[in-house]
Parts: sequence; structure tokens; C-alpha cells
Amino acid sequence: MRQKLTNTIFILIIVVLCWLISFAFNDWFCATMPRHQLLQLPAMLILGFFTGWQFLKKLKLEMHWGISLLIFVMASLIFWMLPHSIDAAVIDNRFNLLMLINMFVAGLLTFPVLRNIIFEIRILFLGMVAVMSIATGIALISFNLLLCSAFNIEQQKETGAVLIKAGIAFFFFTLYVFFRGIGKHRSYE
Amino acid sequence: MIPIFSLLICTSVIWKWTYGFSAFTIFSYTLKSAGSTPRDFPEMKFISQDEKIFELKEKKKYVLVNFVYLNCPYVCHKVNNQIEEIYHLFDSTMVPSQLEFLTISFDLKNDDLVKIKRYRERFGTDINGWSFALPYQSDQKTFNRFLIQAGIWKYQIPANGVINHSVYLLLINPKNKIVKIFDPARENSQAITSQIKSCVKN
Repeated sequence: MRQKLTNTIFILIIVVLCWLISFAFNDWFCATMPRHQLLQLPAMLILGFFTGWQFLKKLKLEMHWGISLLIFVMASLIFWMLPHSIDAAVIDNRFNLLMLINMFVAGLLTFPVLRNIIFEIRILFLGMVAVMSIATGIALISFNLLLCSAFNIEQQKETGAVLIKAGIAFFFFTLYVFFRGIGKHRSYE
Repeated sequence: MIPIFSLLICTSVIWKWTYGFSAFTIFSYTLKSAGSTPRDFPEMKFISQDEKIFELKEKKKYVLVNFVYLNCPYVCHKVNNQIEEIYHLFDSTMVPSQLEFLTISFDLKNDDLVKIKRYRERFGTDINGWSFALPYQSDQKTFNRFLIQAGIWKYQIPANGVINHSVYLLLINPKNKIVKIFDPARENSQAITSQIKSCVKN
């Protein structure tokens, strides 16, 4: 009974937050590139991740399914980092909704997959996300051309700078996971 | 097999979305969507600063076309300065007899003939063969369709009214076909001029 109530409250909170991010504050998020790329997009990913953490803890996936889903998550991140996709999302509300749903689903799948997948692939995935974030950031700050027509070049560079910092932070997180994992492996030996 | 299948699907979607990993921005995507060169320059009537109504196909000569709007805070003026440089790299044997320059404003709301005439005067009084024009009797929807067909993307940011747009220069041949597209942000004036000269001579 208590678990049911917790789940209901959790779902309600997630639904309200999704509604706030996707509809109520959508115009605010779409007004600048940092808000759109660094707040709205990761917010949906994180909401999806926590939903997975709450409801998909017991989901066991075979390795081939895990790898396939990680490829999907990675491709989703790459797709929504493309300047063309960013423009499409800001200009067309339906496309933006597609982005938000895609990010939520990607986050939702990431939790059970990372929990069950072998250590080496987990590290590889986290490392690739960190590198991708840094590479995108470098591309955004090094181009003196406007890449997204919905924003301006200052916002583009600002987004790039934050992405580099976030990527570096994520890289250190990956290192932490790596050494923690190595420590666990040694303690089993 | 499943991971490979997943990788193939994801790669195919991104491949399709970027025209084979060649168009990552909406500017290059719109240009690619319009088709490869040579292709027809879409039909549209224009009115020049001297109130002459014309279509590009009537000119029967090479025309270098670019798109601007007068309230542009930065890029349009920079591109027009580069076009001014290109214009002066040609002599009178080529301009205006074989080649003309045409700068089209796409701000139908704010730009008018008086404004474009005044703006043209900034580049000097002796710029025979370089016209500034507005679409003639065209509504925004028709003109937007024309731009997409030409391969030019424009988007007006609702919050501040700034129009972000493609800065490509289109070289139209006497048969009204787009034969070359230049990106002034990546190519310098000398390189553009020599390519135009070789097109006109051939």
C-alpha cells in the first residue's frame, strides 16, 4: 500500500515536472541556446533517468539488448546536438516535443541498462558521453559562424564553454566510476 | 545482430537527416534540399531602387545575387562590404555588360525603396551594374517559398526581430540557372572573383 502511494506520488511529480518543462516553460527554455541545450534537454534526460531508477530497477536485460539501447541513447544525444536538429526543435513545437520525449525515453532506458551492463561497456559509454560533450563544446566555441538560426553567436559560444566544463566534470565522474569499479573487482579476487 | 541492427538504424537516421553527413546546419540543409547546381533560379519579380520592375531571366547575363535586410546588426553589412570589394575587382569590360550584382532585401515589413536607395548610396554613386531590389507584389508566404527554392534559409527570432539567414552568394547564368554558390564566410573576395571570371569567360 505504502509502495503504491510512493509510486503514485512519484509519477505525479514526474508528470508535473515534464509538463512544466515541455509546455509551461517551453518558451522560456527556447529563448536562448544555453537554456535549451543545457537545461531543457538534460532536464528531460534526468527525469527519465529517475523514472527508470524508480520503476525499472528489476529489469534485467541481456547484453545485446543493453548495447543496442546504449547505441540508441548515444545516437539520440548526437542527433539533438546537431545544429539542424536544434533549429528544428526551436522553430517547430512538435519537433521540440519529439526531442523531449526522446530525451525522457533515453534517460529512462539508461538507468536499467547501465545498472546491468558489464563494467567495461559502462565505462566506455560514460567516457564517450564525456568526450562527445567536450567535442561539441569545442566545435561551438571555435566556429565564428552562426550554426543555429534560432540563436545568436554569443549564446552559441556560451553553450560551448559550459559543454566543455560539463564534459570535463563528466570525465572525472567516469574516472571515479572506473576506479571504484576496479576496486570492487580487486576485492572479489 | 541486434546491436548492429540498432547501429544501422541510428546511423541511417542521422545520415538521412544530414544529407549523408554533409549538411549539419539548417543553412546547409536548405541549400542541399534545393538541389545541386546547375538548377533553375526560381521565378520572382523584383523592383529595383530606381523603381524598375524586372525578372532575372530577362537580364540574359550573369548575375551575382545576395540577400540582406537593412536592419541587420552585423552580418549583412559585412557581406555587402565584401561584395563591394568583389565589385571593384571587376573592370568595366565585364560589369555591367556581362555580369551584374543584385542585392535583394527580404525584410518586406521594414525595408522599402527609399531605404534601399539610401543604403545603396553608401557604397558610392558610381556602382553601375549593382542593383538593390525588393520582391515586387509578393506576400511573405510566396517570398518564403521562393527563398526555400533558391536554397536560402531565413528565420526571424520572435523576441528581438533579428533575422538570421544564409549569406550565400548565388551566381545565376544567362539561362537563369544557379551555376555557382559562394559562401563569403569561408571564401575570400579574390577566390570568389576568379571563380566568377572563369564562369563568365567560359
